[in-house]
Amino acid sequence: MTMNYTSAVELKGVAKWYSKILAVDNIDLNIKPGEIFGLLGPNGSGKSTTLKMLLGLVQPDGGSVNVLGIDVQKDAVAVKRQVGYVPEAPRLYEFLTGTEYLDFIGDIYGVKAEEKRERVNEYLKALELEGREGDMISGYSEGMKQKVALISAFLHRPRLLILDEPLSGLDPRSARIVKDLLHELKAQGVTTIMSTHVLEIAQALCDRIAIMYKGRLLALGTMDELRQRASMPESGLEDIFLKLTGTGDIRAVVEELLK
Amino acid sequence: MNWKNVAHLIKVDRKSGRLIRGRRLTRFRESRLLQYLLYGGALALGLAVGAIAGFIYSGVLGVADSQLMVLFHQGLLDLFLSLPTIVLIYSIVFTMMQQIQRSGVKFSVQAPYWLPITWEEHTLASTIANLLGFPLASIVFIGSAIIVVSIFVGEVVYAVSTLFALLATAFIASAITEIFRILQVRFVGAVYKSTGRAAVWVRFVGSLLFFLVFYIVYFFITSGPGAVTFVQTVASAQSAVWFIPFVWLGMTLYSLINGLYAQALVFMTLSLLLISSLFYAAVMLNRRFGLYEPPAITVSRGVYAPRTGFLGKLGFSTVEAALIRKDLKAFTRRRELMYIFIMPIVFMIIPLMQTLGATGGPQPTEAIPPFFFGFFFLLPGSIMATILGSMMIGEEGGAVWRIYSAPISPKSLVKGKYFFIVFFSALVTAVTGIVWVAVFHPSLRATLVALATSLLLVFALGAISLANGITGADFTELPRPRMIRTAWNLINLVVCGVCAIVIVAPLVPAVFTLITPVSLLPAIDLYQALVISAVIASVITFVGYRIALKNARELLTKAET
Repeated sequence: MTMNYTSAVELKGVAKWYSKILAVDNIDLNIKPGEIFGLLGPNGSGKSTTLKMLLGLVQPDGGSVNVLGIDVQKDAVAVKRQVGYVPEAPRLYEFLTGTEYLDFIGDIYGVKAEEKRERVNEYLKALELEGREGDMISGYSEGMKQKVALISAFLHRPRLLILDEPLSGLDPRSARIVKDLLHELKAQGVTTIMSTHVLEIAQALCDRIAIMYKGRLLALGTMDELRQRASMPESGLEDIFLKLTGTGDIRAVVEELLK
Repeated sequence: MNWKNVAHLIKVDRKSGRLIRGRRLTRFRESRLLQYLLYGGALALGLAVGAIAGFIYSGVLGVADSQLMVLFHQGLLDLFLSLPTIVLIYSIVFTMMQQIQRSGVKFSVQAPYWLPITWEEHTLASTIANLLGFPLASIVFIGSAIIVVSIFVGEVVYAVSTLFALLATAFIASAITEIFRILQVRFVGAVYKSTGRAAVWVRFVGSLLFFLVFYIVYFFITSGPGAVTFVQTVASAQSAVWFIPFVWLGMTLYSLINGLYAQALVFMTLSLLLISSLFYAAVMLNRRFGLYEPPAITVSRGVYAPRTGFLGKLGFSTVEAALIRKDLKAFTRRRELMYIFIMPIVFMIIPLMQTLGATGGPQPTEAIPPFFFGFFFLLPGSIMATILGSMMIGEEGGAVWRIYSAPISPKSLVKGKYFFIVFFSALVTAVTGIVWVAVFHPSLRATLVALATSLLLVFALGAISLANGITGADFTELPRPRMIRTAWNLINLVVCGVCAIVIVAPLVPAVFTLITPVSLLPAIDLYQALVISAVIASVITFVGYRIALKNARELLTKAET
């Protein structure tokens, strides 16, 4: 597939209101093709709304959203066709078996039968779902369901991956496979936008990180740039995050709880 | 037993039933109005029925015929005696139907999993919560009616005793349901294990048989001549089968009414023992199997190999065919959706039971009023289209994000869902139609017109209800899938009802012409009337489909779960 876009994702002055609450406040964001991008922020900071706007699932009240060179508001289906999406705690069709679910996904994304067979069997083997693929998903553990959700995001070879807590519930081996896979896909030009609260994962995986707070983009850059911004040259992402979001002073809170 | 815990658990259960969703699907609001309407309505209706019956007794029968007054009095006492047993069966059927329609989705949110709550508290709360809502409203209705009528008849003491017996009966029914629910989970688990790959079909057939039996019992004891026969049978037969625990409450009343106070005390004590035993049996079973997780159902084995379906040959895109296949699996595998397969069977069996019971066997067309035949023929497909259309989007539940985030156009979504509605409803029409033809031997003309009208209704009502089902979709899954918001369900029923009347209206004069040569309505040929109906149905179908497309577009761009 030829790429005729310079930004995988481009948000310009994007805003979203829910009644009187400003969920996303005038955000500008540019994510390059092949980048692994971390979108972090406390609960209710506007991350999920931003991710949903990328898929055309939520209409912005202001600004423009361009994904893979396509105006999402004009052709959301064309965007969705090239995106693999895993929401936080994804609900699957529990009455289908693992393979039936992936077969359904393959058909929805237009994957050819032979290709579908090959990829489904490969992924099932890699993520150790072999032997359980014929069971109804209702009998799967949360980790197994997460694996199926991840396979369904990778299955159609998307150009952009939007992953909300992708490693949640995965065993160490599978988590490592997914991380390595994301790196390999990056080399192939696939862009990944990841939202997570596990800051160690974000620090280890992401090329650039954005921190959202109260709907605004508080900070954006590589780990070094974030360290500079927070004036914390030796610190890890957790300390930087807590300082930038103004939630760093937690000692008093803990002491209060222990009373 | 911590009563506060019990009260809190009941409150949580009822609150989840009262929560309704507005236009914004992420927001809930609590509607107490529906609860007040339910109990208030039941009370008002009961008082009205009681007052009317009382007025008939004293105002009409008292003046006209004292013999009838005696019969009325005796009939009322018979009713008092049989009510506990009738309500017991009714409550068991109703609460079990509610249980079976509970979501199959597993969530480890049940309080006993992680809160310091005993199994006694959990079981008691669950038992009481089961009987709140319609079962309790039914008792409010019956209780208020019998108390008012007993004022006229002078049997207030027996009426109040009956009311207490009814409350005890409802508790027994609820405790039995609780026991059944736990055993069913354990039993189903054993079935899954032993039947292997056939488990999915064993479950499907088993659930259908279960639904069928309960629907038939339910309709038999709540409608038509069956209900009267049942009251008479129970009233006269329960003293002969006094050893069956479920008639002990009725026997308490029987003994009380006949002045056998010592016997009444014995049966009352036995009833209390029965209630305690059932409750503790439920507690014991909950303790033993309450946290039991049934094993996974294995549907297939071996390396995955995709198959090409025949839907593509019918002109459906891969996306549409995938949606249709997925929905077919949903309706055959999700226990809470399976009841849809039972409805057509119920549509046939109940009228058949009543019609054949009344007429003594199959009748030629001349003996069957055309309206009667038409009604039977048109009803199943129309109801199926109305119900299926309203639930086709909401049944996606929490997994609807998959539809939102996948490259599914509004056109594909509506086409896939609409095909499923029309196909299934038309199938129902065909199957029920064959049965009606076999039973009633109607003329070819009557059969063709009824079949064509039924299909027209399926197309039109399917489109309209799909449009309403998209706008009113409710993706709530716990404690049972809602699928459509209450307000939109009512709107849909009204709109579909009006549309059905408009479509059928041109046929009415023609049918009248067939029945009687002298009619006030203008004479019209049946086939001409059918053409007019077809034109109206086509317009409604077109408009409904267009609205469904517009609503689907909106749904997919305002995706909020």
